[in-house]
Amino acid sequence: MRLSRRELLALGGLTLVGTAVAPSLARGQTPKRGGTLSLKTWDPPHFDLHGAGGISYKIHIPLTFTHSRLLKHKAGPQVQPGTFPLEGDLAESWTQPTETTYIFKLRRGVRWHAKPPVNGRELTAEDVVYTVERFLTLKGNANAYMLASVAKVEPLDRHTVKFTLKEPFAWFLDILANPMAVAIIPKECVEKFGDLKKPESVVGTGPWMLESYRPNVGMTFMRNPNYFIPGLPHVDRVEMFVDEDKASRIAAFLTGKYDLGTEFPGTIDRTDWVQIKDTLQSKRPNLKTLEFTANVMSHISMRTDAKPFGDVRVRQAMSMAIDRRALIDAVFEGVGAMNPPVPAALREWSIPFDQLGDGAKYYTYDPKEARRLLAAAGYPNGFPGSICFTTYGSTILVDAAQVIVKSLKDIGIDARLDTKEYGAYVSTCFYGKFDSMAFGPQTPYLEPDNFLYGQYYPGELKNQSHSDDPVVADMLVRQRRTFDVAKRREIIFEIQRHLAKQQYYVQTPSGVYVAVWEGALKNYGPNLGYDYGGRLMAAWLDR
Amino acid sequence: MLRRYLAKRLLIAVPSLLIASLIVFTLPRLLPGDAVQLMLAEKAYAKDVDELRAKLGLDRPLAVQYVEWLGRVAQGDLGESLWTRRPVLQELGQRLPITLELAFFALAFALLIALPVGVISAARADTLQDYLARSAAIVGLSVPGFWLATLLIVLPAIWWGWRPLIEFTEFSKNPLAHVAQFLIPALILGVAAGAALMRLTRSMLLEVLRQDYVRTAWAKGLAERVIVLKHGLRNAIIPVVTLLGTQLPQIIGGTVIIETVFGLPGMSRFLFDAINQRDYPVIQGVNLVVVSTIVTLNLAVDALYAVLDPRIRY
Repeated sequence: MRLSRRELLALGGLTLVGTAVAPSLARGQTPKRGGTLSLKTWDPPHFDLHGAGGISYKIHIPLTFTHSRLLKHKAGPQVQPGTFPLEGDLAESWTQPTETTYIFKLRRGVRWHAKPPVNGRELTAEDVVYTVERFLTLKGNANAYMLASVAKVEPLDRHTVKFTLKEPFAWFLDILANPMAVAIIPKECVEKFGDLKKPESVVGTGPWMLESYRPNVGMTFMRNPNYFIPGLPHVDRVEMFVDEDKASRIAAFLTGKYDLGTEFPGTIDRTDWVQIKDTLQSKRPNLKTLEFTANVMSHISMRTDAKPFGDVRVRQAMSMAIDRRALIDAVFEGVGAMNPPVPAALREWSIPFDQLGDGAKYYTYDPKEARRLLAAAGYPNGFPGSICFTTYGSTILVDAAQVIVKSLKDIGIDARLDTKEYGAYVSTCFYGKFDSMAFGPQTPYLEPDNFLYGQYYPGELKNQSHSDDPVVADMLVRQRRTFDVAKRREIIFEIQRHLAKQQYYVQTPSGVYVAVWEGALKNYGPNLGYDYGGRLMAAWLDR
Repeated sequence: MLRRYLAKRLLIAVPSLLIASLIVFTLPRLLPGDAVQLMLAEKAYAKDVDELRAKLGLDRPLAVQYVEWLGRVAQGDLGESLWTRRPVLQELGQRLPITLELAFFALAFALLIALPVGVISAARADTLQDYLARSAAIVGLSVPGFWLATLLIVLPAIWWGWRPLIEFTEFSKNPLAHVAQFLIPALILGVAAGAALMRLTRSMLLEVLRQDYVRTAWAKGLAERVIVLKHGLRNAIIPVVTLLGTQLPQIIGGTVIIETVFGLPGMSRFLFDAINQRDYPVIQGVNLVVVSTIVTLNLAVDALYAVLDPRIRY
């Protein structure tokens, strides 16, 4: 079967285009020390990633330069975007004696940044225990749920930490590696500053040290000379600029100010990319690009605990009413990926459409069949409804919402867009507090469990569709208890097959990121997630 | 007399400020979603919300919160940011000068555009120069500042690979670069105000130039420069000064977008972020400072009338 490029993307495949650095070439060159890397960033509200508001990516991104975790995701050009192989960060090795216990051996000789009040003392198991306990107990830490499975954390000796879980949780190691969770912090900073909100309190064991922070302007990181991996990082200085205006960012990128694409995660928005790529070819001919599917996925949620959405035929009809191809053309410049319940971007966990079975047909645009299903459900003339929505300041979302309203109207569902301000939306509709339907993007997690468990397990906060399916609930618990990765993948695929038929949420396609970086930046590989520091740690500048 | 008038105005300003304080305190609370919900964002468990609300003191009755806040304001304390826990006054101390500097340069540009062009346009009424000046004023009024800013940033980057410096430089580090970074944003901000002032300058001056005493001046054989600038402009300027006073809040309002586009860490951007985050003490503090500044400036404008026209008595 011949597949066009668009079709290939639509199947959720990864596309490598442009002049991506060949890993072998990058590995063959000798890294150079020095240089300054220039990046665009977002202004953090503060620097306390455990404190209230600490869930913001604006905090997580800078702290990936300064802090370490027990584990981390491997990075570099050899890692396929959308995959997250684990490796030790502060942990030299780890074992799992039972299903609910993990023992981590810490690297010896790891030193905190040589800054007061810690002044370069050695990191110990007590620091890990202190961090995890603060993470779990500090009021207002909205990410505390990520480690909700932890019953106890204790030091076995100066360099050994033991975690005891309440129940088996197969994603535990992945969560420890996630930059949204547990960056290890020193107790002295909390004691001295009261919290970790001030820039002076940014003391970690990471590859760079925060030299200065200028509110609304930017921040500077200097190489940590005592970093525990000898020779790393290669780059001496990282300058990060707050650049809130899109036009300004584009102009800055065109004129060579930034070494990475200015949008998350080091990309250029495709709508801008198609307009500036020719200009860039002449102005910055050495740029490298790599395309991969975004893990930002939007869906329509609906009150499945009430009429008319309680009827599976109504939900199936809604899914078949959505012209996903038209959506990709309208909002993603024709390049996008179809999403089953786990976004296509998580390529190891998202089920390929050809394995979806009977449920696959509900992702096909078929308004005639959709009308038939509606009629069979007792709604031959459709029904009225509302879609709770917020723009998130994104024209892409607004365009997508328009396409969805039109698609639903075509089969007789007269949906009115109920646009709310972000604060109002996030405190109501995001948690399923709506009468009819809601539409919007979900947090771009890196693990499928976060996409599935929160949205489908009965009673969960983010179960926006109020789904209560014992079959799904059983499988969701089972996958969490299955440590064999292949077996867990099969359960997750099975969950997706079941969900495709049930359509508790109607998933819409995701865009395909265009990651862009300066050619002089070697040994860099883009990926999903906030770990900018991790991805740049072993990169070097050849200029 | 002027002193008595100013004292009276100052007394009137007190209830104005009190009413303004009530409005700036109440309005942000009417916005759906509060700081706590935004801090916890998409992971707000009910228990966490209540606990955090209590921790930040947002669980008490609104009236109690208002009285407490007002008491602190009277002592010169605008409170702490709910997000950063930094004192609002300290933050304002760093940001207000930047916004005032931008507004000052914008006003200077507005006047530099408005007065000469308005005078030439009135003195050469219904000539090509006049038509050109009036057309330019219409364009200046119609073109949105953010659009002009976008073009000024993006087009040079595409054509010549150059863009204006968008990187805040402190005065102490490089005075020249510090001033230079304000010029383009201030010019953009000043264009619309300048256009409005120019049109008013022209029409007021035209009216004055048709007065009998001006005709007498012409008959006496006075030079055009003296007639237009000394006898005409001085008498035409009072409405322009009034308009200048009303343009100030508009210029300060315009700084929100311009500061964002040009990366200036001023007060307006601080306010914009605070509104998005429902950071009530910051919203209240900034608005109170803005209201106080505008009340003070309007008072100054009133006082200026007497200087410009000695016939005016208070």
